[in-house]
Amino acid sequence: MKASSSATGVDYQLSRTTLWVGVLITVLGVASNWLYFVNLPGQRILPWINLVLPAVGLLVLFLALWRAYARRGRFGGKLLAPVFVLICTPLVAMSVWGFFHARNVPPSLGAPLVGQKAPYFVLVSSAGESVSLSQMLSERMGNSAPPKAVLLIFYRGYW
Amino acid sequence: MDSPNVSRKLCKGQGYTFTFLSDPKAEVIRRYDLLHVGGGPGDVDISRPAEFLVDSSGIVRWVNFTEDVRVLARADEILAAAKALK
Repeated sequence: MKASSSATGVDYQLSRTTLWVGVLITVLGVASNWLYFVNLPGQRILPWINLVLPAVGLLVLFLALWRAYARRGRFGGKLLAPVFVLICTPLVAMSVWGFFHARNVPPSLGAPLVGQKAPYFVLVSSAGESVSLSQMLSERMGNSAPPKAVLLIFYRGYW
Repeated sequence: MDSPNVSRKLCKGQGYTFTFLSDPKAEVIRRYDLLHVGGGPGDVDISRPAEFLVDSSGIVRWVNFTEDVRVLARADEILAAAKALK
């Protein structure tokens, strides 16, 4: 009698722990999407973090759900596990969708590579003037020499 | 691809002092093969993000083609590439 009730006690704790570990991993994983707004180095690994971490968290939550219901006896999480699974599934889905959407960029095989000449262009600036690439490369700012280089930034405008 | 007027409002609002060019017909975006057809909200054509460091003779010396639009080139990376041009 004593042995089985302590075993039940351990199982109860284990399923509660699984539940909260699952919630923690999922929340951290989904929250990691905000790190794109923080000026941190090593951002190249971030897409993998907010793909894998939420997915792992959700798996752990499903494990907690299974633990709560699959076996007889009083196992913790019968109410909380389904609630968290319902809340977290769309959040994880969004994080995973974000991964694939953000990587859906064209191959741009025709873009100039290092060592190639940058294609010439003339465009209108926000001040209403015509500006060409060669103009920018030879432009003198005040009394200083022309720039050693020009940085062209093509931006997307939004995510 | 915004018009010069739209860009001017953006620069003023954000306090940008660098040269801001408009490519409303996406001509230059296409010339650099950066067009992302239907990549914007409402399926509009948009530029994919890319940065090119071009030296005084017009040769590309450094590029950044991000494979994930959320991961941006950092200022210190670009400055390091620019310093390396000496």
